[in-house]
Amino acid sequence: MFELFAEMWRFAFMQRAFVATTVLSASVAPIGAFLVLRRLSLAGEAMAHAITPGVVIGFVVAGLSVTSLLVGGLVAGVVAAALTALLARKTILRSDASLASIYLIALAAGIFILSAAGSAVPLKSFLFGSVLGIDDASMMLVGGVATVTLVSFAVLLRPLIISTCDPTFFEAQTKRPWLIEQAFMLLLVLNLIAAFKTLGTLMAVGLMILPATSARYWASTITGQLGLTFFFALASCWVGLTLSYLFPETPSGPAIVLTAGGFFLISVLLGPLGFGGRWRKPSHQSSGQTSTTLAQTSNKERPQ
Amino acid sequence: MSAVLEIRNLALGYPELTLFRGLSLDVERGSTLAILGANGSGKSTFVKMLLGLMAPLSGKLSWPDGPLKEIGYLAQMTEFDRRFPLRVRDLVAMGAWKGFGLGGRLDRETSAKVSSAMDAAGVLDIADRSLHTLSGGQLQRALFARVIMQDAPLILLDEPFAAVDQTTEAHLLSLIDRWRDEGRAVVLVVHDLSSVLDHCDNALLLGNGEACHGSVDIILTPERLVAQNYLSKSQASWMFRASREEATHV
Repeated sequence: MFELFAEMWRFAFMQRAFVATTVLSASVAPIGAFLVLRRLSLAGEAMAHAITPGVVIGFVVAGLSVTSLLVGGLVAGVVAAALTALLARKTILRSDASLASIYLIALAAGIFILSAAGSAVPLKSFLFGSVLGIDDASMMLVGGVATVTLVSFAVLLRPLIISTCDPTFFEAQTKRPWLIEQAFMLLLVLNLIAAFKTLGTLMAVGLMILPATSARYWASTITGQLGLTFFFALASCWVGLTLSYLFPETPSGPAIVLTAGGFFLISVLLGPLGFGGRWRKPSHQSSGQTSTTLAQTSNKERPQ
Repeated sequence: MSAVLEIRNLALGYPELTLFRGLSLDVERGSTLAILGANGSGKSTFVKMLLGLMAPLSGKLSWPDGPLKEIGYLAQMTEFDRRFPLRVRDLVAMGAWKGFGLGGRLDRETSAKVSSAMDAAGVLDIADRSLHTLSGGQLQRALFARVIMQDAPLILLDEPFAAVDQTTEAHLLSLIDRWRDEGRAVVLVVHDLSSVLDHCDNALLLGNGEACHGSVDIILTPERLVAQNYLSKSQASWMFRASREEATHV
């Protein structure tokens, strides 16, 4: 086993893949955690598709470079987020329906432009990324986005918690409550772009959402939620990359997301807030303990 | 008593619907104002207007001592996410959020205040419990503790006794009495007339496009409650007869 890892580490592309996905895990973990907590899991998926036309136009105009990726994706993401917010605030549509409408149009436009640009455009790499082919510029992009994300979260964590848990109270506390939502959406777009070349549009959201949903079955504090989301994301990347090395036919992006899916399944079955809590026998001595689970609660005092 | 807020000739509603107009009242320190009215009469809208979340159609709001830095607020629980991974202690500490800023940590003094607020609201023994394990009454007590942490001169409570048992309601009413005695102005949206009659000084009755304001004795008469669609005739007659009989008994 040790020899296998030593052999794997000798390859520069594997070293890059491990470093990039480790940094990416640290960056997408808080985003994923709050996407799940803010009930925006599907909005993350929609936003991943919404940035596609920007990235494709960037590619068509300036080739597959980090700059074209960043500028195109950022412009498309900001336009999609702004249009969604505008429709949700000023028309009858709610934000989920607004975002769905915008992303469907954007996705179709992206594929249309991609097809019109000719066969030279690597469609597969757009959809699944190429984690084993990361260049220096992409490494810098992932590192830069991770730095911006973690610094932003250090500042925004408290208002994000309050606005997620009790939005009405938060609205009453601040003059511009929408700023937090917009800042969060901007960080989401940045992380999607950072994950774009590594995992592609289809897989990028998987690394955000699955570790966060897995962590929900174990964590009863926000610190635990954030820490476990990072742990599951990191473990998914490392195990997934190792599997794709062991079985060369296995594409690395899907291997990472499938590993995250495995952790999700384990969490559902064994986590104290999943079925694991229900299977345990209710303890009559646990009323004074701090970690009462939903299952235990149902036998004593059911929340209303 | 000095006014913390003066409202003059207020009209409230939406572009296509005026809820009421012509309301003038002072929200005074050391007093409790109950807002009553049928569904859709504008109670929560009035609270949102006080919070600055929506503008009145016309009229003037003035703050004699300048705009308040903090308004204590307890919203209806409909939008509260009880599954959020937080402990009771963290929820209560939210009330002091502005004090320690965006990225700051709770200092020892604030932590002691959080414990004291939880003790006053009766949730100190469940301080480390997760929110999803709390009953409706326990969560409401925790939210009252958060209001204590806000330490505000004006406190707005939107339906604070919804889904709580009688014991919890009595405890929460004692906290409201304490806030009034401390010189704070308390404005609360309520449905239960008994809590208003015993614990509130003034009442604002909304309904039928009108807003009637005055002392509880003057506003909460059977005739007025029926006229503003708050009670039916039979309800008013039963309720006030029961109230009179209870008074005679005592």
